[in-house]
Order: sequence, then structure tokens, then C-alpha cells
Amino acid sequence: MPKSIRTGLLLAPSALLMGVFVVGLVRLIASSLIIDGQFDIGHYTAILNRADYVAMLGRTLRIAALTTVISALIGFPTAYFVARYRGNRNFLLLLIIFPWLVSIVVRSYGWVVILGPRGLINGYLTWMGLIDRPAKLMYNDFGVILGLVHVLLPFMIIAVLSVLLQIPRSLEEATMSLGSKPSHSFRTVMLPLAMPGILTGVTLVYLMATGAIVTPLLLGGLGDTMLGTEIFQEVMHFFDYPKAAALATVLLVTALGVVLPIQFFERWLSARLSDGGDRT
Amino acid sequence: MTRFIAIAVLLFLPLPIVIVVLSSFTSAGYLSFPIEGFSLRWYAEFLGSADWLRVLGTSALLALIGALVSTGASLAAAWAVVRHGVRFGTAYETLLLTPLIFPHAAIGVIMIVTLSSLGWLGTFTGLVLVHCILTIPYAYRPVAAALRKADPALEEAAASLGARPWRTFWQVSLPAVRPGLVTSLLFSFIISFDEVTVTMFLVGPFVMTLPVQVFSEVLESASPVIAAVSATLVLFTSVMVFVLDKVIGIQFFVERD
Repeated sequence: MPKSIRTGLLLAPSALLMGVFVVGLVRLIASSLIIDGQFDIGHYTAILNRADYVAMLGRTLRIAALTTVISALIGFPTAYFVARYRGNRNFLLLLIIFPWLVSIVVRSYGWVVILGPRGLINGYLTWMGLIDRPAKLMYNDFGVILGLVHVLLPFMIIAVLSVLLQIPRSLEEATMSLGSKPSHSFRTVMLPLAMPGILTGVTLVYLMATGAIVTPLLLGGLGDTMLGTEIFQEVMHFFDYPKAAALATVLLVTALGVVLPIQFFERWLSARLSDGGDRT
Repeated sequence: MTRFIAIAVLLFLPLPIVIVVLSSFTSAGYLSFPIEGFSLRWYAEFLGSADWLRVLGTSALLALIGALVSTGASLAAAWAVVRHGVRFGTAYETLLLTPLIFPHAAIGVIMIVTLSSLGWLGTFTGLVLVHCILTIPYAYRPVAAALRKADPALEEAAASLGARPWRTFWQVSLPAVRPGLVTSLLFSFIISFDEVTVTMFLVGPFVMTLPVQVFSEVLESASPVIAAVSATLVLFTSVMVFVLDKVIGIQFFVERD
């Protein structure tokens, strides 16, 4: 058998699977642009003309952005701590990777048990006599963001950690022995080198936060929908597929519009960093 | 400061999971924490329910078939890209990772469109197809990494000593990539077994998965049986992670290729 045919046969199964995905993507976008067999952007203008949808879009962006920023702010120090830990690093890794692999339904449900009206915190506060009525800890933005940070934080930590583990400890020690203060050494050496990992983490967390459904439905208020939950409602309750397709396309544009520039910047930065490494 | 944040985060991550597992042992008829009395009655209810067990079986079978297919497809693709030097190999590898960078709500709608045109909406076959697409990014990376590390000179040596291609493949190539294969299988099994966001668009009256069932029960009721089912899901994942750690080392997750 000629080599080209063998190569083709080897690629066939995965190409078939990816083909199904790509064709589905094209059909999704196409179906959102057709009304009564004609090209029409009516679904999109209908979405943008409704104040509640525009508010929902803003809310999705706000929650995704906040989730991403919080994940970066607490994920980076965690990754740094684990990377520089001299003891049993495997155990710390387990504390990050095990929760990451547990289903998001179980993890979001865990927060319901903790934050709910009869949950851990309210139960404790009532028992202490500090409150007589349960405090509203979920069914609001706070609950959604807390849940999303919990679900997505491991992506951030793993992305940053995989970069940090490649930076030799001696690099930091060298800058400090040359008289640099720890904070200065961190800003000028560690942070730029870790940037590709941070950008990968930011990308993943932002994408998953914009498209989340389970966590916002379990921990969010009934009235305050996000793009993902709205798509789910349109499909499962109203069977409005063209509108769901238009909303899903808006979601894709929202997510990829932010993420693709970050990805290009990350590629460029990685190329530049590895260039610099070769020259020294 | 770094230390303080890190320790807080490392405690925060397992917290809700521990709480769910502990709350599953309550003897009360409603969910509360701390639990009111210790009992295994919710586990008995879960394991005594034909419905729950059927859903558990569906999820396990789905994850098993999905893991086998996407690992097989990934191995074949990686073989072509790494060993045959496909012209647009890097671009093709990026394509295989795309399901990872699409928001899951959008993938859900894409898959509804696709499966309904195939007539597979609400069928097990449809779920298998979708789970294969979703797990390919997770299956491909470990296999490709293992294949890049394996030395092709060993295969050439076997061939030059007269081994036929199939024998070379079974006795030389396959053992060399075995850790990567096992990782792909376990990793895609876990991802598929726990997947919910895309799957819940595609289930129907005749096919249901465990996480989706848990999700719809949580939305409707607060029976502690959900905690027992969740704790069982956690146990499943723990076993998988334990095996992964033994086979390849948990370090694998933070290695770059």
C-alpha cells in the first residue's frame, strides 16, 4: 500500500469526527442567518433590539471577566507556591487535579449544600444565634462567580504551573544575588516568563465561563440568565432552534472575539521568549 | 501573602466535594449540613433503584466506548502526524484541539443541529459520537507526546531483523507508547463519564447519563439520594485518578510537550 493511502487511512477516523464538528458549526451559523429560506439577519437584530438580551449579554461578559480576573489573581500565587514547594509536591498536585476531574454538577451541588438556605454556613450562623433568617448566599451573582471560580480555577493553576515548572529556580536566585529585591525580581523575571501560561489559563477560564450552564443554573437567580442558560432555555423549553442558533453564534463571537487576540499574543510572546533563550 | 492565598486555595478546591460526600451519610429525609445522624439509607435507595443503576450503566458504557474510539482515532492520527510527517501536521493537531476552545453551550447547539440531521438525537449512538468529539483533545495529547518520545530506530531495527509490520507494531511500537495510551484511555473516560453541559442538550426519553440525571434532580428536589449518587461519582473519579497516578504519575498533567 502506498504511504499516502496509509496516511489517509490513519487520519480518516479523527478527520471524520472533526468533520462532523466543523460541518455542524457551519450549519449552526447558516441556520441562524436564514428566515423562510432567505438570507436574513433578523434573528440578530431581534436579539440586539431587546433590552433584556443586551443586559444578559453584558451580564455574561461581566461574570466571565470577573471569574477570569479572580482566577488569575488567586491561581497565580497558588501555582507559584506549588512550583517552589520543596516537600511532597505530588500531594499538592492531587489537591488541584482531583477536584478538577470531579464532575461540575457534583462540585456546583457542593456549593448548594454549603451556601443554601439550610446549608453549612447558614446552619452555623443560625446555631451561633447570629442570624434568625437564612442569609442569601446564593441565587445571586456572588454564588455564580464563586461556583465558576471553583469549577474553572484548576485550568488556570495547571496552565500557569506547567510554565513555572520549566523556569529554573536559579534564575530567580541569580537576579536576587545581583541585588534585585524579591518584588522587582518577580515583576521583571518571573511574571514575563510565566505570561504564556497566564494567557492560556485566562483563555480557557474565560471561554468556559461564557459558555457555562450548569453552575449558573444551580447557583444563580431564576431571573438573571446568562447567555449559556438562555440558550439552554430556548432549546429545551421553547424549542426555538433558530433563535438558539443565533444566540450560540453570538456566544461564539463573544468568546472567540476576546480569546483569539489573546492566543495570537501568546504565540508571539512564546516565540519571542524562546528566541531570547536561544541567544543566551 | 502568596503562601496564605495558596493554602487557602488548596483547601478551597476539595471543600465542596468533601461536604457532598459527608452529607450523603445523613439519616434525615432532607439535605442539611452538619448531618443529623449517620445512615447509609440513601446509598441503599440509590443502589436499590433500577432507574439509577440503568443510568449509571449507560454512563459507564458511553465513557468506555467513547474512550476506546477517541483513543484509537487519536493514536492513528498521531501516528500519521508524527511518523509519516503529514504536510499540515501542526495545523491538524490544532484542529483536533478545537473542541476544547469552543464554549460548551455553543457545542451543545451545534450537536443538536448535527444529531437531528442524522436522526440520532436522544440516542446512545448520538451520545457516543459527541463524546468522541469532546474527548479527542484530551486523548490526542498524551498519545502524541508518548509517540514523540518513542524512538523510531527501534521499529527500524525490528523491521531490519525481519519482523513483519504487524509484529513490529504489536511487539515494539505499541509497548513504547503504552503509558500514553493508558493515559488517553483513562483521561477521556473521566472526561466523558463526567460530561454534562453538552450531553444535557442531547439526552432523551430513552437515553440518560448519570451527571445529567443528577443535575435535573438537583434542580427539582433536594433529596439526599443525590448526595449519595454524587459521592459515588466522586468515588469513581478517585479510583481513576489513583490509577492514573500509579500508571503515569500525576505530574503528567503539568508537563509541557
